[in-house]
Amino acid sequence: MTDSNSTKHMNQPPSNALSVPDGSLQPGQVLQSRYRVLGIIGMGGMGAVYQARDLHFPNVTRLCAVKEMINMAQDQQLREQTIRNFERESEILATLNHPAIPQVYDYFSFGDRAYLVQEFIQGRDLEAILNSTDSFLPVEQIRQWGVEICEVLSYLHNHQPEPIVFRDMKPSNVMVDHHKRVRLIDFGIAKMFQTGVQGTMIGTEGYSPPEQYKGIATPAADIYALGASLHHLLTRRDPRLEPPFSFDQKPIKAFNQNVQDALAAVVMRALSYDPDQRYASAEAMKQSLEAASGNVVAAAAPASAPVAFGAPPVSMPVVAPAMAGAKAAPVSGVENVTPIWSFQVEDAIRSTPLVYNGIVYAGSYDNNLWALDAKDGSLKWKFATEGGIGSSPTYAGGSIYIGSSDQRLYSIDVRTGKRQWNLKTEGKIFTRPSAAVGLIFVGSDDGKLYAIKPQASSGREMWAYNIMTPIRSSPVVEDDRIYFGCDGGEFACVDVSGEPLWRFQTRRRIMSTPLIKDGIIFVGSDDWHFYALDIEQGYPIWRVRTKGPIVSSPAYGDGKVFFGSADGVFYALEAMGGREVWRYETGQPITSSPFVYKESVYFGCADNAVYSLHAKSGDMLWRFQTQGPVFSSPVVDNDTVFIGSDDKHIYALQA
Amino acid sequence: MNLFRRLFGKPSSDAPTPPQEHPVQLTTEMMSDAPPEALAQGAPIHTRRLGPPKTFATSNRRVRYGINSDIGGRGNNEDSALALMLNAEITGAPPPIGVFMVADGMGGHQDGEQASSITTRTVAQHVINEIMMPILEEHSPNADQKTVPEVLVDAMAAANRAVQDQVPGGGTTATCAVLRGDLAYFAHVGDSRAYLVSEGNLELVTRDHLLVRRLQELGQLTPEEADTHPQRNVLYRAVGQTEALEIDAATRRLPPLARVLLCSDGLWGVLGDARIASILAESPDPQEACDRLIAAVNDSGGTDNITAVLIQMPD
Repeated sequence: MTDSNSTKHMNQPPSNALSVPDGSLQPGQVLQSRYRVLGIIGMGGMGAVYQARDLHFPNVTRLCAVKEMINMAQDQQLREQTIRNFERESEILATLNHPAIPQVYDYFSFGDRAYLVQEFIQGRDLEAILNSTDSFLPVEQIRQWGVEICEVLSYLHNHQPEPIVFRDMKPSNVMVDHHKRVRLIDFGIAKMFQTGVQGTMIGTEGYSPPEQYKGIATPAADIYALGASLHHLLTRRDPRLEPPFSFDQKPIKAFNQNVQDALAAVVMRALSYDPDQRYASAEAMKQSLEAASGNVVAAAAPASAPVAFGAPPVSMPVVAPAMAGAKAAPVSGVENVTPIWSFQVEDAIRSTPLVYNGIVYAGSYDNNLWALDAKDGSLKWKFATEGGIGSSPTYAGGSIYIGSSDQRLYSIDVRTGKRQWNLKTEGKIFTRPSAAVGLIFVGSDDGKLYAIKPQASSGREMWAYNIMTPIRSSPVVEDDRIYFGCDGGEFACVDVSGEPLWRFQTRRRIMSTPLIKDGIIFVGSDDWHFYALDIEQGYPIWRVRTKGPIVSSPAYGDGKVFFGSADGVFYALEAMGGREVWRYETGQPITSSPFVYKESVYFGCADNAVYSLHAKSGDMLWRFQTQGPVFSSPVVDNDTVFIGSDDKHIYALQA
Repeated sequence: MNLFRRLFGKPSSDAPTPPQEHPVQLTTEMMSDAPPEALAQGAPIHTRRLGPPKTFATSNRRVRYGINSDIGGRGNNEDSALALMLNAEITGAPPPIGVFMVADGMGGHQDGEQASSITTRTVAQHVINEIMMPILEEHSPNADQKTVPEVLVDAMAAANRAVQDQVPGGGTTATCAVLRGDLAYFAHVGDSRAYLVSEGNLELVTRDHLLVRRLQELGQLTPEEADTHPQRNVLYRAVGQTEALEIDAATRRLPPLARVLLCSDGLWGVLGDARIASILAESPDPQEACDRLIAAVNDSGGTDNITAVLIQMPD
């Protein structure tokens, strides 16, 4: 029945069957001289469902549900098929005996109509209950419904001679009666399960498992559909309105924090796209649901269900903010590694150390630049300035350059640790100097970007570009252009002769040092945003909003940019489009700039810890606790991580 | 008297002497262009020698594009397409900016046509107002402006609302590419497609929002089963169908001479990737390429509308 002219149609939530008239029986009509129609209850799969009164009991009001089937089929074969379907349903129901299944009282037909008379259920279906409120339903209530539905599914699946697959499990097919018990309704498509028989796709899209689209319906399909129904009830997200088979991207806890991990795991296992990965039976699922109640500890169900979701090979990322499951710390990983060595100085260290030629150089707020042996932490020399050092040193041409809050840029002989020269500015220096084209570039709190030519015993100022507000974002030089941000919120591009080329204006200070990669500038701002700017003219390619100022300077690795925010979250975003790949929540502000080394990314946090995360997945590999907040940034060299802390120590850790 | 004699004959003695011009030797070619009367007269024809002709080869210095939307095998054309390129040699030297789009509408009567048209107009207006106008008004880049991806999200949302309001029950796919400099920003819903063609490779940038494609991803259907499945046309996302529209987005840097093809399923569903690639390879001119693609579908007897927009980067 291929129809290449078939019009595209949307995968809509199923509306009432539109091919049958809106109920042919009127209130007052009497069927079989016995059933007086009172009104329409709803529309079933093949026709209307009426409420009627059984007149054989004149002294009481015995209500029943009368399900009507009007045979609209033009095609003779289809007519007969439809009659058979209806008769089959009636027969199936007549043989069933379970408290959750409505009793069958009668069946009759005439002309092109057939009627099934069933027990009338007083109550509401689960979809109606969900829609009657805007808030989450009680989790315990939903869990209990799940248990009861498993019981009746188990009954159906164990039916002799052949199991019955319900095939249309969804919240609107489950009623809760006035005794608060679950009742399964609308057996319109239930069929005897015969292995391997493929029929046409029937079932409500959204709750149906993938294999049902191939016409395969086994008891495993009911388990999936129950999982989908529970997912809907727990998260209030209707699967019919979501992209098909996207449950793996919608972890329950991301929507409803009241759901325990154990219960979420049961539902997600039932939702495995591979039927063999689901519960083998409704009975097994029921047991896991019972064990998942808040009362039972160490449930029988595995703590993390081993499910393999068919993750789509998405070639295009989704724009809407990804609800990627936030990883609460710690997931796994080693706590409290032992440092290779540590060295105590006299005040906090808040900058990134430099490693050059086996020596670690770190500036401290104790006014000194410390030079230590990288292998064992023994002191080589220390260089005293007259103000705290909050920025990182740079090596170039035999000298170490460092800025101090005493307003000077120092040039130090790398071999002796002796001062070669210094240049005084009019503001504290908190930026790391950059060496390029034979010059040293550094920004100062006096609002100027300096270009200095280093000579034997002096540094000569070649030019200074005045951006008018303090510069705390270290300048980066690429292709004869210098890029940096400032406290006025501007991000500027200046050429190596001091000529301004372009500016990008943000709303708050830029303290983060930019990263340049593949023609894109990555930088964070105090305005809570992380920007990706075009290198030629500075217009934004993309930006991502966090929940706090970004001081941390980004790092790049494997197509991703990494940075931390004062909102306590460490982000890994796709470099090209800004899509979030993963995030790691620490709970405390992160001003430290990350460092990528081999498979890992390292950073410090105000929670006193130094973190090592797996760059691809964001899983924590290890965490090292210091005695004070870690505002400084790590550097990794030769498999050793060097970082300083507010606890006045410089640490060397195994990468 | 013969005109030529009057003009070129010997002057009277007190008239100024006309500059002595070397009578050009009439070559065979020139003679064949000369009017017969002149030749018959035998008078020397003084003409200036033509310089060598300048050739203006097809320039590859600028972005070029092709656009074509054809009714194909249907009664009406429910596809819409748009291509707009802004090149400005002005202060500030803005990069070239363009917006390109394909939309395939659906719904009864005129709904499909209306839905795809409204969507195309709405998205184009947003791009023009929020990306092109700031450049023409010479605003320097700042954080108060929306980024291109943000503009596209808003534009699609506006189109979604417009279709719901004006064409209830109608819907459309939408695949849009905004080009700025050498960066292409894509926004996409539905089963129209965007391909990136570079160095002979055809790469599908977008994902079809088709139910059968999702089943394919899950390994439930083979590509052949997907193509013949009774529900192969069922979309799970389209513009104008739900309150909140979720779109797919991507950003790509386009190398020199790279091409981007936007097309409706009336094209890719009939020709397939290999055929599309070979037709593109044979057509250096983007408009010709679009025309050829459509002709190929018509020759195969396609039953749907056929739409193609092809962007070609400079070298």
